[in-house]
Amino acid sequence: MASMSSGDESLRLCVFDLRRGQTEGQELDKILFFHPPELDVSTQLSVTGLSEGLITFTRLFSPEAACEVIEAERHSHVFFEAETDIWMVMVVEKNKDTGAIWRIDALRGMLKEVHSLFVMFHGSVRALLEKEPTGGLTRAQLYPFITDYLSTFQKRSRSEDWCCDLFVGKKLQLPNFRETTLSERGTVQMLTLARDTALEVQSLVQVLDSCAGNLQCLSMILFQDLLVSTTLSPDDTVNLFTFAVMRLTSQALLSSDASSWSHLRKGTGSSETSSRSTSGSIDSLHHVIRPLQNDKWKKGKDGFLVTDIWGLETGGSPDPAIPIVWLQETQERVYLLAYQYKSLTLLLLLPETDIVNGGLSAVKQQVIEQASLRIMKIEEKISRGWGGENAYHVKGYRYLVVDTDLEVSRASPSGKVATLAKESLLALNKLREEVDLEKSRAKRQERDLEICIRAKNNAWVIARVSRDKELYMALEKASDTLLDATDAVGRFSNRYCSGAFLMD
Amino acid sequence: MFCMKEKNSATTASTLGRILATCSKQAKDYGSCVASKVHEIEKDLCLKEFLALKSCMQHTTSVGSGALSHAYIQNPSLRCNVPESRGLFYDDANRLLICVTSSQVFSWETATFNPDVSPSVDSIPEGPILSIRFSLDKKAIAVQRSDCEIQFFHRETKQTLTHKCRAGSESILGFFWSDSPLCDLAVVKTSGMDLFACDSAMNLRLVETKKVNVNWYIYTHESRLVLLASGLQCKTITGFQLSTAGVVRLPKFEMTLATTESNSKPIISPGDVHLITVYGRIYCLQVDMEAMLLHTYRFYRDAVVQQGSLPIYSSKLSVSVVDNLLLVHQIDAKVVIIYDLFVDSRAPVSAPLPLLWRGYQGSDTSSQQENEGTESSTSNENIVMYEEAWTFLVPDLILDQTNKVLWRAISASSSDRSSLLEFLQRRKLEANKAKQLCLGIARTLILERRPATQVTQAIDVLVTAYSYSVKAGIYKELKNEKTTATTPTNDGASPDNERGRASGSSIDEEEVEMNLPSGSADEQQESQLSSPAISPDELYKFVFASVEEAMVEESDYLVAIITEFLRSISAEKLKVDLNIYVMTVRLLAHSKRFAELSLFTTNKIIEPSKEVALQLLESGGQNLRVRKLGLDMLRQLSLHHEYISSLVQDGYYLEALRYAQKRKVTSVRSSLFLEAAFASNDMQHLAAILRVLSELIPGFKETSEYYTFHGLLNETSSSVAV
Repeated sequence: MASMSSGDESLRLCVFDLRRGQTEGQELDKILFFHPPELDVSTQLSVTGLSEGLITFTRLFSPEAACEVIEAERHSHVFFEAETDIWMVMVVEKNKDTGAIWRIDALRGMLKEVHSLFVMFHGSVRALLEKEPTGGLTRAQLYPFITDYLSTFQKRSRSEDWCCDLFVGKKLQLPNFRETTLSERGTVQMLTLARDTALEVQSLVQVLDSCAGNLQCLSMILFQDLLVSTTLSPDDTVNLFTFAVMRLTSQALLSSDASSWSHLRKGTGSSETSSRSTSGSIDSLHHVIRPLQNDKWKKGKDGFLVTDIWGLETGGSPDPAIPIVWLQETQERVYLLAYQYKSLTLLLLLPETDIVNGGLSAVKQQVIEQASLRIMKIEEKISRGWGGENAYHVKGYRYLVVDTDLEVSRASPSGKVATLAKESLLALNKLREEVDLEKSRAKRQERDLEICIRAKNNAWVIARVSRDKELYMALEKASDTLLDATDAVGRFSNRYCSGAFLMD
Repeated sequence: MFCMKEKNSATTASTLGRILATCSKQAKDYGSCVASKVHEIEKDLCLKEFLALKSCMQHTTSVGSGALSHAYIQNPSLRCNVPESRGLFYDDANRLLICVTSSQVFSWETATFNPDVSPSVDSIPEGPILSIRFSLDKKAIAVQRSDCEIQFFHRETKQTLTHKCRAGSESILGFFWSDSPLCDLAVVKTSGMDLFACDSAMNLRLVETKKVNVNWYIYTHESRLVLLASGLQCKTITGFQLSTAGVVRLPKFEMTLATTESNSKPIISPGDVHLITVYGRIYCLQVDMEAMLLHTYRFYRDAVVQQGSLPIYSSKLSVSVVDNLLLVHQIDAKVVIIYDLFVDSRAPVSAPLPLLWRGYQGSDTSSQQENEGTESSTSNENIVMYEEAWTFLVPDLILDQTNKVLWRAISASSSDRSSLLEFLQRRKLEANKAKQLCLGIARTLILERRPATQVTQAIDVLVTAYSYSVKAGIYKELKNEKTTATTPTNDGASPDNERGRASGSSIDEEEVEMNLPSGSADEQQESQLSSPAISPDELYKFVFASVEEAMVEESDYLVAIITEFLRSISAEKLKVDLNIYVMTVRLLAHSKRFAELSLFTTNKIIEPSKEVALQLLESGGQNLRVRKLGLDMLRQLSLHHEYISSLVQDGYYLEALRYAQKRKVTSVRSSLFLEAAFASNDMQHLAAILRVLSELIPGFKETSEYYTFHGLLNETSSSVAV
């Protein structure tokens, strides 16, 4: 296969369980996921073996937190212990030509994210393994899940080779540094609301809650790709938000529509056959669900989003089954109902155990009856006040503000970030790497730093970290002095961060 | 005198409870029957159910200790003990009760209802008196002597003038004074209506004649509307309004009359038609005995629209209006049914109950109705007039009771609370009581954990009503009332305003200007409150704050209601006591809804204030994010001292000091920083702090603190340079 070429080696990703395959000759049993899958077994074993060796070794010194990253000459190995003894390791090639290095924290963020999403849909890996000790089920679920997850970046980067069929095993791409430099994985992006709109929204949230009658109904509202409201715990909010932005929001549906068009043009036939050939065998053994599969959500006539990912409703009903997700906070399984009106996407979460037969359709009915009018009005109101995709653009600045405690971030619109010179971005990327290092070293109290760097192209790249907030910025005004640059940061902080970054 | 009133005593509830318990089935049957047939009103609608309920109620009440009613007659009444009385008249324009003897006219002011008031006496020449009315300035008395002669007497100059019409060809049906700019007096004759201007010397000048064949007419000064009936069945009605804006001719309209075999040409008599004013709207009620229906028509500027019909259960019928409520006396059935015409539903507000004397039990209703009759000669028409009298002269007691009973009655029959509140908010009488009731209802709604939508509706009603009353200038502008009362222009304008709002719609062009005579004088007589409107602050204080303790275990529910309340007041652009935000923070934190708490704070649903920030810090004991929100809020409010102290408390003493340095804040005790640094056992920090403080605070190096910590520093580590 062509994938054996060196290009494919740019990314290796494996998930393995240290508790498995302890006896000699059984090592393969450890591996739960490996990409690229077509890599021969011995190479796979050598990657996991090396990783395991490093983990065991570093644990001698730091039992709590074993190794995080190994920087080799040509590769970076990023380690993430997703669950106890379940490790995810990513090996990326360093690109000497472009000088672009992967920011390790960003890569670990991806590992974290894919694991969180996996747990949200399938429960923990450990639980799956305990349920089915051969590991077959876990592998069957992990494989399409991670591939589907990674394929998202394919789409976003609009690579020529986007039409990846995961079972053929084409090259997977990581998001490039242009996209990751001024963004923060694991945070949500909020929509700023006027007070009266916020009150309307809160009122809607309460109506949604009442739609479930006596049941507890958590909800989350998004406008386009921005969070409007949530009643979920912070972690669940982040996970569900990530998923919604990937697959459910109006934009996600739109892009999946667009892609399915080009899909058709490229010839659906081939990919269908190939997917059947490989997945068929897995499916026959285990009931595999691919929650992150693309192009699978459609807006139904009643405004609710439907998908056949979860198969059909049991009991011979022709309706597609409603997805069920796990909430971290409560360790509860909940039904996920998604309703969409124009740019507004509403997610309702209802406890699985409390829903009796027909309960969900009753809730849906209630939502349509009680809330649809309000939803319409709120969508209208928000749309009217919405400044478009460049709403949060601040002229002259390319920025990223992260509130690590609240898990919220805001950044310049990607279209604006794209106008930055490559040098600026690379410098910023490097700066972030530095800050990441500094953060991990420093104690909480001392997490207060300011770094200004002049990039090759005379742009200023600035990082400002205060107790719990981080600000990254690129100012491409070559004539600016350092004083001008810090002034600019101060103005930005006072104006847009309510003075969170105290300037000396 | 006669007064409507609703019952209040503490025993009411139990009596009513007993009745409703005993007659619950009948009450339910009747209610559901009426509700189901509201749109297809016809003769004897729900008669069976009605009779069942009525007899059950009467049975229960007669057995019970205290009779029960929604409507009461005020006692004592005003007695006209005039010997040789030849008749009683009611002058609705001046609200005078007039008793005439052969040569004297006794008149009682009824505007200030007082049974002991002594009448004023005027002497007039002897002669028959068909009707009598004082001029609007009360300087002249007009007496209709016969069907072709009206005499005028000037009360001061004793001047007399006689107006006659052409005998034989036409006859005078009646007359009334008018305050329209065009004319001062209108004389209704069989050939039409003559409008006269009248100067101070009482010279009449004919200004206009409206030619219509008239069989009979009705007029109320309240509505300034005269209806002239013509045609064989007297069902063709021509209307004029003689308001201060001028004379307006209403479109001619036909009243509805059902025909039966026995009576193919029924005739409408003046007693069958009532002009009433509720909420500033003018309605005409017309009895259709054949159909056993009471038709309602509403007058608009350019149209008369039939509004639906109410069932009649009695061959004799009368109506009253008390505080914008329509009371339909089913005289034969001896019960009163109360309707609120403001609500679209034609379902009665209350179950039919007998009309009672206040303080008397088991009194016979019909006798009271007769009583009315004796007091005012033209009973039906004048009952409407009484409304004015009741509205304004009723002592506090009465109204207070009115509302109370209405409330109880309604809630006991579990009617919709928000419409009840709406109803109470429209009460103008004894506003304070209505207000207390509204607060009580709101509290109860919450304490009973009614569905949030229901409570929301109720709160919306209260907030909207308040907003209206503020805009209309009723609320809080009571003190100006007396000054404006002297200027007639204001006088007229403000009630108009209020009415327009009361109708809740600008589309309805109110046909009639409601220049309530002496409106402001009346308001003065009311207790301090002229409006039952409740300000958001009061809602917070008396409703939310007072239920907080009881509801703390259901804070989700309470927060939902508070949110709706905030939304409601924000929509009306009103403000509320900041403590409600503190309370919201407390409730959200109590139910551990931290995600929402941050949303509430960042979206400013919870308005930032020092109190809120401190509450956030306190509630943040359980959640770091919340504490951070409090810190951020302090910083944003530039509460430097609090911000710095909280930072130090959280162990961020370096940041705190940096902030203090930056903002030049010296009010924070320097020992706070030093102790914090010392406690953290970081001598480098301690040294740095000492240095910063000596720069920040002049003369710091001379303080004992400096010596203490400097000494400590040197002891611990001599290597660190200060």
